[in-house]
Amino acid sequence: MTQILPLIKRFFQQELRNSNALFSLGLYLMGITYLIYLLGGNNAADNTWNTLLWVVVFFAAVTQSSRSFELESSDYFYYYQTVAGPGPTIIAKLLFNASYMAVLALATWMLFTFFYGNSVYDPGVFALGLLLGSIGFSVVLTLTNGIASRTAGNATLSTILAIPLMFPVLKLTSTINIQAMVGVSFEDVLPLLGALGALDIAIGLLAYLLFPYLWQD
Amino acid sequence: MKGRVYKFAGVALVLYSLIYGLLTSIPELPIIEQSIRNLFYHVSMWFTMVAMMAASFGNAIGYLSKENLQRDIRSVSQAEVGMLFAILGLVTGMMWAKFTWGAWWTNDPKLNGSAITILIYLAYFVLRNAMDDERKRARISAVYNIFAFVMMIVFIGILPRMTDSLHPGNGGNPGFNSYDLDNRLRLVFYPAVVGWIFIGTWIASLRYRLRKLQA
Repeated sequence: MTQILPLIKRFFQQELRNSNALFSLGLYLMGITYLIYLLGGNNAADNTWNTLLWVVVFFAAVTQSSRSFELESSDYFYYYQTVAGPGPTIIAKLLFNASYMAVLALATWMLFTFFYGNSVYDPGVFALGLLLGSIGFSVVLTLTNGIASRTAGNATLSTILAIPLMFPVLKLTSTINIQAMVGVSFEDVLPLLGALGALDIAIGLLAYLLFPYLWQD
Repeated sequence: MKGRVYKFAGVALVLYSLIYGLLTSIPELPIIEQSIRNLFYHVSMWFTMVAMMAASFGNAIGYLSKENLQRDIRSVSQAEVGMLFAILGLVTGMMWAKFTWGAWWTNDPKLNGSAITILIYLAYFVLRNAMDDERKRARISAVYNIFAFVMMIVFIGILPRMTDSLHPGNGGNPGFNSYDLDNRLRLVFYPAVVGWIFIGTWIASLRYRLRKLQA
């Protein structure tokens, strides 16, 4: 724990210092939300609203995480690993990406609510689904980015690898969100939330176990 | 001779299931009718695919622990054969769906699962082609293979159980669930699964030997 926190802090500092990346993400979110608004997204039915939200979050996630190993040339990553050990480094990276993703997802939701009006009946469940979903997203994307960064700098590869792997998480999350929008009782959503949480933990553990193999030469 | 027994057994079992599957008497169920015989030809493809992918997954773990390149070659050969059976399963399923549901493709959890499985393993082959160094390719694709297999099991094994499906045996549909998969069907279905797994293993071993010669 003593090693993880400073690393997370360092990742955040790095992100804030590189403010142009942060602003370009924000601009993307604003631009795409407004574009959808112009094209008539404000009249969308629940299903479409939810689909649009996830498409926007999905691409934000891909853009955000595509830089997750770019910033640290692999020398940097080796340095972290020698100082803190591979385990804490990966946990820190996963936690950083997950919290970043969660913020992005919440920001997208706020923008959607602002432009298209509130379509969500049960914000608590919706937020929970969004949170668990972004954790799952970030785990999958962190792993595939790690893989892609080890191949000869193929930027599209990460997306190709990540899209099919993200489907289980995406499917569960969007089901939860639809149910939160129409207002299904909490007891009925609970099994889905439990499944998503369990899936997050399982893939997180798996990523933690597999990561050291990626940085072995 | 020793290594050949399973090949003969595979051919015999598959021939038996192909021929006897058409002759055997079947339970009479509405909607499904005679198309229930597709159980022998379609569902056995998916069982074989999962068996092949599981073998590939096992060899990927084996590679990471022992760093033996033969394991990697086995792993990719088995994944290729698994892919072949996935495509066969999809085609046989689509033909069945056209006559039973009236459409080639529907938004059904099991269909989504199989489509995603195919995408996941296509990405696996793309990843392998993106790297030239043998050892690096073996290690990194093993990492992806392990992650992909777990995701595939979640998507085809767990998610469909949480939602309703048009598939026979799910939801309120007539068909062969654990209660009415009766003994006449079992007598053909289980041998078909075993036979196709033998055939798949055989093809995978041929691919493995070919790759070893090419390397």
